[in-house]
Amino acid sequence: MTTGKPLFESIKVSDAPAPLVCGPLTRTHFVRYAGASHDFNPNHHDEVYAQANGNKAVFGMGMLAGGYCARLLTDWLGQDSLLRLRIRFASRFWPGDVLTCMGWVSAKREVGGKGLIDCEFSAVNQAGEVIIRGDATAVLPRGSSSFTPDLPFPSLPG
Amino acid sequence: MDPKAAGTFPAYEFHVERGKIREFADAIGDPNPIYRDAAHAAQMGFPGIVAPPTLLRTFLYEPKAASEALRVKDWSYIVHGEQEFEYFAPVVAGDLLTAQDRIVSITEKESRRAGKLQIAVIETTFHNQRGEKVQVARRTLVETGKRIEA
Repeated sequence: MTTGKPLFESIKVSDAPAPLVCGPLTRTHFVRYAGASHDFNPNHHDEVYAQANGNKAVFGMGMLAGGYCARLLTDWLGQDSLLRLRIRFASRFWPGDVLTCMGWVSAKREVGGKGLIDCEFSAVNQAGEVIIRGDATAVLPRGSSSFTPDLPFPSLPG
Repeated sequence: MDPKAAGTFPAYEFHVERGKIREFADAIGDPNPIYRDAAHAAQMGFPGIVAPPTLLRTFLYEPKAASEALRVKDWSYIVHGEQEFEYFAPVVAGDLLTAQDRIVSITEKESRRAGKLQIAVIETTFHNQRGEKVQVARRTLVETGKRIEA
């Protein structure tokens, strides 16, 4: 593979990718995700309905924040590493909010010769309030030496 | 919710189209060419343009059999509590997936904040056109005893 994803041997518990900042979010982000995801719950696009239901405005879909966090993980670990992803919805987010997605390695383990990592992640708003949190398991490539086998060996000096 | 709701529901099919993948990637703000360019995806070792990890939830709003079987009186009391995916094989543009929903469990819990909670877990298993199991999605729906300020 030509991805720059980390090797199982080199990744450490508490390693973390650079946070992914999304926003400020607008109603247009929510409407665009409604169309793309088929989530037509009116609380996410119909201000009149949302306010009649006691909300101050339309609010974003938990799965939109989940999509941002999934991107954090695939940018870090590659598109074919995830074995499992769980998103837990904690609070709502609103037009004008900025979400910051963060993840970190919570455990490393070997199962049947495969190198697995467990990760935790969350998206928080600009006040630090958790909007979603979740956890994931990924399989990482193994590297037994510092050489990448499919590259030519470096020529020795002298 | 009907605490006795249970069962496996009729399977349904859908195509994973490249335009939908691109639209979804645009909506989550992910510019990765693996969601847009088949040649790039091939270079990365995939047989086609790749589905983002949370895409398949998209195809679960329309089939109503499982959610109707829950016999929810008022959906405004329902909160989507949790969404989980397990990944077994890549899903790529052009795949024809077959999905089947199953009510896994309905449990009850007392919550000081929201009254009596009923928690339903619906599991969807996805197979591709070669009969390979590609993903399992589980969504947890929570019915609150009273409306809550999330």
